[in-house]
Amino acid sequence: MATTHAPATTPTTLELDYTPQTAPPVVDVDGPPKVHYLNHSFGWLSWLLTVDHKRIGILYLIPLTIFFMCGGIAAGLVRLNLIQPYGAILELDQYNKAFTAHGTIMLFLFLIPVIPGVLGNFFVPMMIGAKDMAFPKLNLASWYVWMGGAMFFIAALLFGGLDTGWTFYPPYSSKYSHTNVIWAGLGVFITGFSSILTGLNIIATVHKMRAPGMTWGRLPLFVWAMYATSVIQILATPVLAMAVCLLATERIFGVGIFDPSLGGDPLLFQHLFWYYSHPAVYIMILPGMGVINEVITCFSRKNIFGYKAVAWSSVGIAVVGFLVWGHHMFLSGQGVYLGMVFSVLTMLVAIPSAVKVFNWTATFYGGQITFEAPMLFTIGFIVLFTIGGLTGLFLGILGTDIHLHDTYFVIAHFHFTMVGGMMFAWQAGLHFYWPKMTGKMYSDFWSRLAAVIMLVGFSLTFLPQFVAGYHGLPRRYPYYPVEFQMMNILSTAGATIQGFGYLMPAVYLPLSLFFGRNAGANPWRATGLEWQTPSPPTMHNFEELPIVTHGPYEYALPSKFTLEDGHAHETKGGNGGH
Amino acid sequence: MATNAHAEGEGRQPIVAHHFNNIRQQQASVRFGMWVFLVTEVLFFGGVLCAYAACRIWYPKEFEAGSTALNPFIASINTFLLLSSSFTITLAIRAAYKGQRDGLRLWLASTIVLGTVFLGFKAKEYYGDYEEGLIPGPQKTLVDDVDATGKPVLREVSVFAVNLKHVLEHKNAKAKAISDKMTWNERDRTQMFFVFYYSITGLHVIHMIVGLGLLVWQLILAQIGFFEPTERHVYIEVMSLYWHFVDLVWIFLFPLLYMAGHHSMDGAF
Repeated sequence: MATTHAPATTPTTLELDYTPQTAPPVVDVDGPPKVHYLNHSFGWLSWLLTVDHKRIGILYLIPLTIFFMCGGIAAGLVRLNLIQPYGAILELDQYNKAFTAHGTIMLFLFLIPVIPGVLGNFFVPMMIGAKDMAFPKLNLASWYVWMGGAMFFIAALLFGGLDTGWTFYPPYSSKYSHTNVIWAGLGVFITGFSSILTGLNIIATVHKMRAPGMTWGRLPLFVWAMYATSVIQILATPVLAMAVCLLATERIFGVGIFDPSLGGDPLLFQHLFWYYSHPAVYIMILPGMGVINEVITCFSRKNIFGYKAVAWSSVGIAVVGFLVWGHHMFLSGQGVYLGMVFSVLTMLVAIPSAVKVFNWTATFYGGQITFEAPMLFTIGFIVLFTIGGLTGLFLGILGTDIHLHDTYFVIAHFHFTMVGGMMFAWQAGLHFYWPKMTGKMYSDFWSRLAAVIMLVGFSLTFLPQFVAGYHGLPRRYPYYPVEFQMMNILSTAGATIQGFGYLMPAVYLPLSLFFGRNAGANPWRATGLEWQTPSPPTMHNFEELPIVTHGPYEYALPSKFTLEDGHAHETKGGNGGH
Repeated sequence: MATNAHAEGEGRQPIVAHHFNNIRQQQASVRFGMWVFLVTEVLFFGGVLCAYAACRIWYPKEFEAGSTALNPFIASINTFLLLSSSFTITLAIRAAYKGQRDGLRLWLASTIVLGTVFLGFKAKEYYGDYEEGLIPGPQKTLVDDVDATGKPVLREVSVFAVNLKHVLEHKNAKAKAISDKMTWNERDRTQMFFVFYYSITGLHVIHMIVGLGLLVWQLILAQIGFFEPTERHVYIEVMSLYWHFVDLVWIFLFPLLYMAGHHSMDGAF
């Protein structure tokens, strides 16, 4: 260890050397704490009855991983079937059930709860300097509600399946489908309540539980993003619950609310459904954007470019996201003038999204960038999300949407934002916070390799679909003309590579629990409050109530650790910056 | 752990939960949480009321007929009961704030009684609707009708439509006049109004039952002295917020369901 700088006795005599650093050294000064949240009590009941937000985060992590694999297997079946123009392995109804299972599981049981459930629960209280969520028991209740709903949903899919697509459009879903629409709808209804309760808890926590000095302007941007997400969750989810209720009523009693032959209007369902489900894609992406802020500042060793702009763009996305749902119904019989209004409003969402992307790239500028696995995922996110966002504009414009509506172009766009965006952000967040959650460091090589493999597999899967969709290949069809076969084979090959990529973290992350080295309190030398605690954190997160005196990304300032343990780092006093 | 001077109350649990720094933070969080929850409730009822509004704009005649077939007398009594219960629960907050154990129990119990009587009347009303056969469903029957040329024909209509015709014709002159102007198709479609009627009032009843359960729980807590430390009056307060909300929903439901007249552009000319 180089001792280029003698540790200063007092900060006043410290001569700061602003020579930028490259790789942050990983130093375990104190070792992990003897008693932390994972080992202060043992046994099933200590987990199933816990009200500790950190343990609840872990409780979410395990079933979410399983659901992701279920959804992934369904996607694999669909892709495999599409190798041949007339279907390779599945019967037609099996194909319908497979793509519905993929869509519903991935959306309702994975993408919506994943970051709020795991990282939101675990890190929002820690980032704002609180001991727990505002309502810990409600937090646990929300997990139970979610598990109950998810079990319902999985049971409905296993025993009979669902073939409506994830959108449940009537009158097919209310009158003609012979699958478990009601049970699946009930599952969606119940998991929705969990989503509402989690959102409520996070909003109350952010409002009322902040540590002294943690002003709104000093909140980490992940917290801002989670706050915006929670606002959408509590405002939109009840409407979906209501729409599903009405759908079930129509199906059970055989009376018309949505069925046109009984005097109802299917467009009414689409309005109610998309009033939730369009904001829901922002429920899925906003937490991911929040993670990106944390990772990008840490591995660029820089403050975020335009803190206020990024913070308010989260809120902007949440607000404008509520006004654009009609762009899903341009071709459903909605009025042309309404379509024009929704088209213009849809363009507006691009503004806050672009603000974020530009500010992230500006944060790179002049930074001391290192390429650890979380950073690789983050770079992947920015590139793929930008492609996904820009192709979204094609679909938001009334004229081009008529050509591209319900084609593979839509599928590719959606997966670029949801998989290329959210899935990569989730991986970034998981890899970034894994050392804090478990106290162990995973393999540097394998994690970087996984990031690259996922990126390659993802691009190979979905780039051809843009082309196929542009040439008119409709989504959800089991058969296709033979000239699209090459595109489909490329896609399936990419999906296989992606599958390997997703399996890798499932191997090396658990292995790190047994073979990984101790990560230390702050392996990335990040500045957030959550890194000022030991890894894994102790029961109540902080030994004493933290007093916050500066913003979340002050990478140009000497950190507490630099001052106290200057000898422990290969630094020259400062830690990066100008 | 909170180290407030009065953190250890007279009850078994400390007043300030482990994760709060002081009582003010806890009370503010509890109040805030309930308000946020009520926001989601507004959207929940908002969704179904939005669907109601859309359907009523399409089918004003059907909604008028359905509304006329309901029993506004029971609903008026229920409105009075529910408004009174909002008053008594507010007195319960006052009693809890002042540490009056007997007063708290009295007013909580009154609220529970008023709410239960409301549910009793509601059940009677549902039973009346059931006896009159105003239940939407797919069952069909045949009725005499005339076609466009005036020739008598047998026509397949829902059982509901026949029941509705019967109810309206025997209700009063105004109801009979409404019924006489309706075609069989319109009578069939009046089922839509009843779907909304049952689903919205049903949701409201579920909210009432949950609220009554919580009130009983609070009454038991009051009995064992949980609210002796008056800081805990905040729990009565958030309970009353919820109860007022359920009350407020009814204030909207009453005119929407029982007073739905014929407001449409084609009716205006």
